[in-house]
Amino acid sequence: MSEAFIAISKDFEMFGSVEREGEIIFDRVGEFDEISEGRSRYAPKEFLMQRNENVLLLKQQEKKAVFGVMSCDLKGFYLMDKQVLGKDPFYTERRKNTLFANFVCNEPCEGGFCTSFGGPVLEEYDVQALRSGEKYHLLVSEKYDKYFRNYEREDGAFFSKFKLEFGSKMEALQVDGVENRITWNSGLWKEFASRCISCGACNFSCPTCYCFDLYDDGDERKREWDSCILSGFTSSSAGNNRKDLDERLRQRFYHKFVYFKKSKDEYLCTGCNRCVEDCPVGIDIKEVINHNYSGE
Amino acid sequence: MVVETRDVYTIRLSAINEGRSGQFYMISVPGVGEAPISVASGFGRKIEFTIRDIGSVTARIRHSETVGIRGPYGNGWPWTDYDKIIAVAGGIGFPPVRSLLEEMVDLGRGKDLEVLYGARSPSDLVYKKMLEDWGNTLDVHITVDRVDSGWKGKVGFVPSLLEDTHLGKEAAVFIIGPPLMMMNTVKEALRLGFSEDRMYLSLERRMECGIGVCGHCNVGEFYVCEDGPIFPYSKVKESPELFL
Repeated sequence: MSEAFIAISKDFEMFGSVEREGEIIFDRVGEFDEISEGRSRYAPKEFLMQRNENVLLLKQQEKKAVFGVMSCDLKGFYLMDKQVLGKDPFYTERRKNTLFANFVCNEPCEGGFCTSFGGPVLEEYDVQALRSGEKYHLLVSEKYDKYFRNYEREDGAFFSKFKLEFGSKMEALQVDGVENRITWNSGLWKEFASRCISCGACNFSCPTCYCFDLYDDGDERKREWDSCILSGFTSSSAGNNRKDLDERLRQRFYHKFVYFKKSKDEYLCTGCNRCVEDCPVGIDIKEVINHNYSGE
Repeated sequence: MVVETRDVYTIRLSAINEGRSGQFYMISVPGVGEAPISVASGFGRKIEFTIRDIGSVTARIRHSETVGIRGPYGNGWPWTDYDKIIAVAGGIGFPPVRSLLEEMVDLGRGKDLEVLYGARSPSDLVYKKMLEDWGNTLDVHITVDRVDSGWKGKVGFVPSLLEDTHLGKEAAVFIIGPPLMMMNTVKEALRLGFSEDRMYLSLERRMECGIGVCGHCNVGEFYVCEDGPIFPYSKVKESPELFL
């Protein structure tokens, strides 16, 4: 893909997943061969939604191309789009100016469950690459097709076949209908709360979580990633409608599997398993999907 | 700045209100932060906010030489959909009803509105001068929970005023105030035979961005800042967290 990479680099600042001191992170890259095929330690959320920034100034955004995003992480942006795009000027401006080239995993990763949410081949993409030996099969969106004129582009048949094979190696969970099975008074929320330490790691590691806090800091008004698990998240002059941790945990999962489904017809999860990996007390979102609610 | 009560004050800006009654603005004190405040004046009038001094921002607005303002956000009272409206306000919920009143009066529909206003005590009533003036031409009923010196009006909780209304059971009922007051008003209105299809509640949640993104006011599939703050009762009763 080096030739396309060079062509793109004439119009974009180039970024990619690279290995640095044993960890895969996103950084500036000079050539395609630097790109790592492994999954980054953190989801690339900061390309569109920075951890902390001043919202009183929106600078002109440089055009960025980001190579080596995993499908599950990129799917997060397509889900966020449904709530955020066109409303949040910071996100929208960056989204418009960023090209993502995602890698489809060849083999299931440990713990991941992307097939439960339609992965690992995405239906929406800028440039989607699937390695086969030394070459890549490519799906390229119309918007970026001009960079790939010298390449053989797929019509999707290879990807469809691959997706079937992949699915047989990573069995999809029974996600469909979870919005109807899940129960408000399930014991699961209290059980999770008995272990949860309210650190918010699940929100910060999630490629679909977009909530933020706004606060003044000197001459600046900052936005900062926020977590619905933290106790002050909903406190207002009228009170706090989620005082207890089990209520806040329930909110997190209801938002992902019930509310977002109701308002946007999507589950707000990509099956990346990042929240499970980063949870210090082993709370597993898969349990929310698999739990036998009617048997409680 | 007008001091209304011990902890409530009104500020008036020279700008014209582009918000509909029931909508809110984010008001900020530079270096301190922002707070969502409902607009207290009618559409097209000079913009006014009546603010309860309850947090770091609301305590400082009155002392600030400069305040920031953005908005309006949210939906408004759906008053143009109805022929008759009974608006029930408790405590600091009254300012958004005052803006409704001004809006309806300005369009010659003052007679289609009955206002029920309850405060904790006579000294907690806001807009005392205006209340007197409205009393001559508009239908404004007032009650207080408990009496201090020289009160000749009604004593009792605001839902009890519903019985005295004359606009009839076909009227839409708009309710705003503390959660318990709203709950009791709904109960009483249903008992008296008002239709639940014509009941609306204005909800208070932590609003930060005002554009349905930051997530703090998310309740059920709604973002209160964007889909609300005014909701039909039919939606509120289905969502366990909409009633606080």
